[in-house]
Amino acid sequence: MSEQTGSTSVSLQFKKVIVALFAVAFIAAVVMVGLIERERAKPEKAAVFHADEKSQQCINCHEEKHIAVNWIRQWQQSRHAEKGIGCIACHEAKKDDKDKWEHEGFLVTHVPSPRDCYGCHEKQVEQFENSHHAKASNFIGSLDNILGEVVEGGPAANLGCKQCHGSTVALDDKGVPVAGSWPNTGIGRKNPDGSQGTCTACHTRHMFSKQQAREPRTCGRCHMGPDHPQIEIFEESKHGIMFTAFRERMALDADEWIVGKTYTAAPTCATCHMSATTTQDLNHDVGIRIAWTLRPLVSKRMEDWEAKRDRMKGVCLECHAQTWVNNYFRMYDDAVNLYNNKFAIPAQNIMNKLTEAGKLESTPFADPIRWTFFELWHHEGRRARMGASMMGPDFTQWHGFYEVAKHFYAKFIPEAEALLPGVSKEALDMPEHAWKQGMTEEQIKQMLDFYQNRYGQSIE
Amino acid sequence: MAERKRRIPGWLRFLRERVPVNVEVFEELSKEPVPNHMKNWWYCLGGTPLILLGIQILTGILLTFYYVPSPDAAHASVDKITRALPFGWWIRSLHHWGANLMVIAVTLHMIRVFFTGAYRKPRELNWMIGVGLLIVTLGFGFTGYALVYDQRSYWAATVGINIAEQAPLVGPWAARLLRGGATVNPTTLTRLFVFHIGALPTLMLILVAFHVFLMRIHGIMEIDAPPAVQETPLTVKEDRKGKRRFDPDRYFAFFPDHITTEMIVALFLLTFLTMLAIVFPAPLGAPANPDETPLHIKPEWYFFPIFRWLKLTPLPLFMGGMILAGFALVFWPFLEGAWRRRRPGSEAAMLVGAASVLTVLLFLIWEALS
Repeated sequence: MSEQTGSTSVSLQFKKVIVALFAVAFIAAVVMVGLIERERAKPEKAAVFHADEKSQQCINCHEEKHIAVNWIRQWQQSRHAEKGIGCIACHEAKKDDKDKWEHEGFLVTHVPSPRDCYGCHEKQVEQFENSHHAKASNFIGSLDNILGEVVEGGPAANLGCKQCHGSTVALDDKGVPVAGSWPNTGIGRKNPDGSQGTCTACHTRHMFSKQQAREPRTCGRCHMGPDHPQIEIFEESKHGIMFTAFRERMALDADEWIVGKTYTAAPTCATCHMSATTTQDLNHDVGIRIAWTLRPLVSKRMEDWEAKRDRMKGVCLECHAQTWVNNYFRMYDDAVNLYNNKFAIPAQNIMNKLTEAGKLESTPFADPIRWTFFELWHHEGRRARMGASMMGPDFTQWHGFYEVAKHFYAKFIPEAEALLPGVSKEALDMPEHAWKQGMTEEQIKQMLDFYQNRYGQSIE
Repeated sequence: MAERKRRIPGWLRFLRERVPVNVEVFEELSKEPVPNHMKNWWYCLGGTPLILLGIQILTGILLTFYYVPSPDAAHASVDKITRALPFGWWIRSLHHWGANLMVIAVTLHMIRVFFTGAYRKPRELNWMIGVGLLIVTLGFGFTGYALVYDQRSYWAATVGINIAEQAPLVGPWAARLLRGGATVNPTTLTRLFVFHIGALPTLMLILVAFHVFLMRIHGIMEIDAPPAVQETPLTVKEDRKGKRRFDPDRYFAFFPDHITTEMIVALFLLTFLTMLAIVFPAPLGAPANPDETPLHIKPEWYFFPIFRWLKLTPLPLFMGGMILAGFALVFWPFLEGAWRRRRPGSEAAMLVGAASVLTVLLFLIWEALS
């Protein structure tokens, strides 16, 4: 061995020293990796954050007492934290504020409102305040509200209706919100500072994320269920299927989110109703592209509906061609008109006649037929129209028009006739209802021609 | 004798009985004489790719635990590895930079072999295997880069396969083999994945085994020795007792001398790769979007020279040039051998080599700056 290595023994020793040095260097590098990993693993280090002096005091105290610390963690991962928008920027109250609360030497509010967001997000708040979203709690006196508050009972309304529509936040004499009115992130919440709405309905505190607001599930928190199942309709539609299949291509966390530019895989609720396209800016007024109101008993065109329809068509045209878009909206309008003319208006007329004849109690929901009528338009009727509006075939048909027809013919008309015989004759004499009398082949053909002429299947 | 047997631990006796190999043969193999010029760091470039291959295999296995080779999930799984998994960013960055260094190390090794004439008789076949290893390394780079499935990677793969399709005879067939269809489709990613973690590693290990085997039986070329010595494998020199012996003034032992050098290289590479991972973590762009072709599509830097050549020439000329260059590279030892038989002592190879290296470098820099 020695004869083989004799002349290199010195350099071998030297090499061993270098091996040792590099081994130390490598271990040091791995230790550095370990340190970086440890820092990365801390949730609060996931984002760079800055807190002003006052906010840092809030953080220190909350950390020390372990009160709502996860809100701090979430805030630390927010864009607000990156930009140095701390607790105080949103929670600080002034002496004259109704909702001021003396807290550890600071005047703060429990309920930051869009007015607090306005300081930095002026345009967004103004757009939002013009929207139906901001007015969602103005439903006092509506049938829904009587149902929730009176027929069902207040506690149900507090945790049901008002969690989506928004409560009127009430304060005790110290400025602390009282149970029943708060906690509440309903989108049309009436705030103590007089403003209406809450941005955190969609951009949940304390991450205030754009990504979350682009998620269909965020809208689905309220837009779901038997009376407005938009999220289920979306999931049933091709749009929803594409979203589910390719959600990783949606770039939901992108700073600038433009359909046709940032992403092309699928639209979400936000895409069609609010978000930017290659020709339109983002707008926080959710109704800016909605031409029909599908909420009431009889659907109506919205004010300035042509412009709104054009905006919606503009979104569609990011992916679809003109003929496709025009034909689709024609079919949608026909479906809404069919519901209005064939079921909603006749049913309303029948109810009016029953009222005039004194056959109904004055209190809403006091008669069985009022429940039938309510569900006819409020549940099934909306499902049919909303299914048509968002291309959900099963919601248009089986959850929608089928249920409308079934309850109209098999429940509503018999109940109305039982109360006032002959009350439905005028309605049933309409050509749309002639099938009930039995039809010859010739009459069936005439009926189909009638539908074709009235609702059309021609291309615009 | 009986006393000696008692000293052998039980587990070793068990092992020796069940694996009855002559340990002395291994000892002998470990004493492979290594020419003194190998003490120079420049001559460690052959071992460097092997070390990097080890790192790539290890980190590659770890990445495969979490990588999902499906168009829907590939980018998300890489993102998860990079951002969510403990040490994932480090392992991925080691693999990323290891791949880059591998191409550099293989190229430098080839340049060294070329300019020292180490490919000459009787080592021509080993040069050809080496060219095969370069191609496999580039294949690893191409398929691995495609697996990331971000915009750059997706479109680089698409364009890369489209270029390959233009090759005469085998091009369309090779493109279909890679894509699993006439166009890039969900099967393509699976195929690239299978090439990356199955076919190419197998091919590479076989080629490396042959490469090392031929290197060992020929012995390492002595740079300063006359051709007669170079053409005589060192390992067959035996003394009267049949033991291999060599001149300690001219050679040193593979173990422990050279292996220590390789250990230094290995530790240096690990440290260097880790530092690269810390300072320049492996990037991850936006998810691949087959509907949106980026404005500027570029392959990985090691394909820049070919890409520039493609941009400079019409397609038939590009393909002709590539085929000619490939042919010259593979059969270079024989081409030069024939030339030297006509003009003994000619060093024209130096000129050809220098011109080739400079051209490749020029194209690389040109493309990088464009």
